[in-house]
Amino acid sequence: MYGGGYIFDEPNGKQLREEQLHDDPEKLVAFEERIARGEKIEPGDWMPAEYRRQLIRLIEQHAHSEIIGALPEGTWITRAPGFKRKLALIAKVQDEIGHGQLLYNAAETLGKSREAMINDLLSGKSKYSNVFNYPAKTWADVTVIGFLIDAAAIVNQVANAKGSYGPYCRALERICYEESFHLKQGHDAFIELATGTPEQKAMLQDALNRWWQPIMHFFGPPDKTSQHSEKLMQWKVKMASNDEMRNQFLDSYVPKIWELGLTLPDPALRKNPDTGRWEYTDPDWNEFFRVINGGGPCNAERLQVRKWAEEEGRWVRKALMNPTERRSLPVA
Amino acid sequence: MSNDSLDPRVNRLKLGDANAVIKVEEGENWNVYEVFHQEKRGAHHEHVGCVHAPDPQLALVFAKEQFARRKKCVNLWVVRSADILAFDVEDEDMFANNLEKNYRDASGFKVMEKINKFKQSK
Amino acid sequence: MISNAALTDLIIKMADDELIQGHRNSEWTGLGPVMEEDIAFSSMAQDKIGHAWALYRILHENLGGEDPDRFAFMRPESAFKCSHLVEMPNGGYDFSLMRHFLFDHAETVRYESLQESSYEPFQQLSKKLKGELKYHTLHANAFILQLSNASEEGYARMQTALNDTIALAAGIFEPSAAHEETLITEKVYPGEKALYNRWLDRIYPVLVKASLNLPDMKTVAPVYGGRQGFHTTHLAPLLKEMGEVFNLDTEASW
Repeated sequence: MYGGGYIFDEPNGKQLREEQLHDDPEKLVAFEERIARGEKIEPGDWMPAEYRRQLIRLIEQHAHSEIIGALPEGTWITRAPGFKRKLALIAKVQDEIGHGQLLYNAAETLGKSREAMINDLLSGKSKYSNVFNYPAKTWADVTVIGFLIDAAAIVNQVANAKGSYGPYCRALERICYEESFHLKQGHDAFIELATGTPEQKAMLQDALNRWWQPIMHFFGPPDKTSQHSEKLMQWKVKMASNDEMRNQFLDSYVPKIWELGLTLPDPALRKNPDTGRWEYTDPDWNEFFRVINGGGPCNAERLQVRKWAEEEGRWVRKALMNPTERRSLPVA
Repeated sequence: MSNDSLDPRVNRLKLGDANAVIKVEEGENWNVYEVFHQEKRGAHHEHVGCVHAPDPQLALVFAKEQFARRKKCVNLWVVRSADILAFDVEDEDMFANNLEKNYRDASGFKVMEKINKFKQSK
Repeated sequence: MISNAALTDLIIKMADDELIQGHRNSEWTGLGPVMEEDIAFSSMAQDKIGHAWALYRILHENLGGEDPDRFAFMRPESAFKCSHLVEMPNGGYDFSLMRHFLFDHAETVRYESLQESSYEPFQQLSKKLKGELKYHTLHANAFILQLSNASEEGYARMQTALNDTIALAAGIFEPSAAHEETLITEKVYPGEKALYNRWLDRIYPVLVKASLNLPDMKTVAPVYGGRQGFHTTHLAPLLKEMGEVFNLDTEASW
């Protein structure tokens, strides 16, 4: 599902900036010209060290978000009401793992092994989308996640699919295709509650109120405060600014929420008819950073469960492992 | 046993310490196999991605669900990524077709021109 | 004319097994040992829940049964006829894999026999599921063989899992005193005894290749009771969970 528009920065920038000084200036020019022409970069191509680093970080965080994102929704797998909802939910959570698989492969083409990425997730060194550190308290939460978080992810991923790195674009193409199923099944379950009994509607409204701030956080801090990287835009690693994507999301989905008679917990939310842009109360960005740094309601559980899965599956992986065989990275 | 999770599945697990250091060993996720997908009989097998697997047989088992659980598919191939040989990307210039080699293409032969010329000459 | 009571009894047993086993297996979704296997195992869990749904639909459409959603998610525990094997919590992946191997071969011989059933809906369904089951047993065989032959730990775990599950799995074939003869005479299916023997013929060669010791089945007392509505303590909490959202308002549409 989910990239999360925000790429969390790592503190090791200095060393890589030095590596960057060693980038061959002629090759750099050719590389940038290639991207400007709209050509894709492939795994074996020469690329600046910083481009490689940023891409690994971006794709890896996206992959982590998929497998961690499977947990909040997985909360309702055994409880989903009725055959159709149940099968759709299992299939959806399965897709998230499938997306993780595709994305880890794409990141591996850049030279970092799947194991190294998983270790960075488990140690907390590498981040994932903040939105998955919130609990799915009721069935209505699942419909809000399925509809709105997936919608937000689609905005982000459709943009990223036009980026410059071939393997990431190809993974995103497949992912976006499956996301359309996620969005549709989420919207369907969301509408079911919105048009149901007063209790169902209240349950949905409550979930919506709780998820609104994490959703506003989803695309990352406002452009005016976040370090805007011209280079990442030029290299087509980052395809649109945080505010740009947030605005696009609001434009497409707020009307779809309002048309069902639901409200959003922000009295200032409106589309300015003069500018055509959405206005809203800034969500609490301190909370955003608190959650990134481990202080969210579910950070600990998410990693604890992920650690359990790795630990529990270790004997299966180890039994079938052949340490003498030469390993290689995915070719494309 | 309860882990105080909202997920009843999770409450059935014996979770370890949240701060425990868990490390996955290099190679634990096995080898990489490239996957080729055949959409219908008579079509080419096309590259669709890869799977991590300990051997070709399980690579096929895994590829089936990761790459053919939705899209139409009649067969799959898997091959170890290490066994794929490709040109260096720097050698892309070898593939630049010289325009003067149009003797290889249908467009290099102006048959109608010659016929028309012959007809006019009569 | 085939007895409706006998058919209904058989369908409920089959469907309840698939429903509960599918739920247990779906608990692994997102928590599997490696992503590729997570995906494969989840698909097979979905298939099982799908098989249950198809069977409840046959009940609903042809035998005057209730709506499948209500029947599956609102019945009291005592009305369930699943075997104890499927009720057991997942335990480790060794237990889950071995149960998957034993259950899916049992399912396969059952559906194979139904291809020649005198009951038309069984014929149709079993033909439709043939390919799915082929994949399930291919997957199960590959894992059992590879893990048993891979390492000492893998072998020990598989053997322990087999020891822990075999009597439960034999319990799948608990005969029905009331309906078995009717169903055999009416050529609906060949009966539990025949299926049990076919099942042993299927699992035995795989276990031999895996060097796993199948206990002398004459000394194994199959765990019966589930088919008569007596269940382990694990079933009730799972059923409560499965119906939790539905039961908030049984008249609402979810």
